[in-house]
Amino acid sequence: MAEVAVFARSTYLQYVALFQWATVRGYVAYKVVLPVTQILFFVELGVYASGRQNALYFALGNALQITANAGIFGVIATVANERQFGTLPILLASPANRLVTFLSRSIVNIIDGIVSVIVGLSLTVVVFGLDLHRANLLLLGLCVVLISATTAGLGLLFGSIGLIMRDAITIANVVYYLLLITCGINFPVSRLPAAIQVISYGLPLTRGVEAARQAANGASIAQVGGLLVGELLVGVVYALAGYGLFVALEAYSRRGGLQEAY
Amino acid sequence: MLGGGLLGYWGVAYLDGGMSLQNERWNGTLEQIFATPTPLWVILLGKVCGSVVWGLLSFVPTLAIAYFGFHQRLPHLDGPTFAVSFAILSFSFLTVGIALAPLFALWRWALPMINGFELGFYLLCGFIFPVTVLPGWAQGVAGTLAPTWATRAVYASTTSQGPHDFVAWWLASLALSLAYLAGAFFLYRLVDRRARMSGELALA
Repeated sequence: MAEVAVFARSTYLQYVALFQWATVRGYVAYKVVLPVTQILFFVELGVYASGRQNALYFALGNALQITANAGIFGVIATVANERQFGTLPILLASPANRLVTFLSRSIVNIIDGIVSVIVGLSLTVVVFGLDLHRANLLLLGLCVVLISATTAGLGLLFGSIGLIMRDAITIANVVYYLLLITCGINFPVSRLPAAIQVISYGLPLTRGVEAARQAANGASIAQVGGLLVGELLVGVVYALAGYGLFVALEAYSRRGGLQEAY
Repeated sequence: MLGGGLLGYWGVAYLDGGMSLQNERWNGTLEQIFATPTPLWVILLGKVCGSVVWGLLSFVPTLAIAYFGFHQRLPHLDGPTFAVSFAILSFSFLTVGIALAPLFALWRWALPMINGFELGFYLLCGFIFPVTVLPGWAQGVAGTLAPTWATRAVYASTTSQGPHDFVAWWLASLALSLAYLAGAFFLYRLVDRRARMSGELALA
């Protein structure tokens, strides 16, 4: 029970500390501006390169990938900002369960990612005419929750590097755009070289986005079950690897006095 | 070939430059900067210039990948015209950075908002594809951005096709850049006055 309380308190404090920039007006504006600009940019780029007939493919892919903004940037920032605000040594000195502390870092960002995707999908429906009449909405919703969680799993892995690296947020930029290229967001994974395809299927989003595209076309859970299980496994592996790295780097950073380096 | 470099250049110049005031605030040094006799805009000019120069490095990897990875070249490059266009583009980035810095200091929501609009700038400034493919209203918005005209000139200087109205594009970019500077002048005064009146200068 005590662990649950620590988890809840830690999650709430993540929100208070890391969304300090957000007034209601600013948050809403950001949640509209980012999906709108990302979707419009990649749709226009895709249409310029391949023709108007593929516009919906780009729009849907980017509407789903938007979750990585919270799952990657947001989660990596949970550690990077502790360093910047000078609270990392205090966090690491606390006796709280490390796994609970670690996992609580992603909860607010998973919720934030889901909100972002909902805005992105709404835009895709209104502007690009995504027809959801035949869609399996429950399954689509499940896909959105799942990709938000698995992307946060990857974010946790890279966020751990923030224990020893001053500018861990730089990694977020690289990972975010890497996901745009490799996960079937703007073109099918099959268009990539074989070696890159292996990497694609080792990353979150790839299977989840594929499942979400099928759910938007009315697929049943039986048809995309394999993709969803694969997506879940990838996310769990990254989260566990992230926890292992967090524990290892915590000890390393303590030995090297790296926690206060800024 | 140029698009990737332009994205990196813009990203560093406008965000890093624009963040120059906000970073001082987060590091607890903003009050000292305000208290020095040197005008604020002089200090920031140096910081934003540094960001612009740093952003130029974005062209090194992108040009290297284009040349070595994809064997791309610019056979129709008009050197002098390209140099002038690029200098004007850099000036426009500089003025955007200077204009954004007080904006970020005045309103906390301005940073996430402008940050979220990053890809919108890619779209409207024509860094990757020409703004002429956009709807008319979007081209109208793009026309109010100084980098749009300079980017058009930069691209035109690398090809023998299409319009080459360099002087008009240069003048449009310069005029808009100067307008940004004029706006920034008033914003800096506003930041200074508000900071002293409210006493909230150091609040992040």
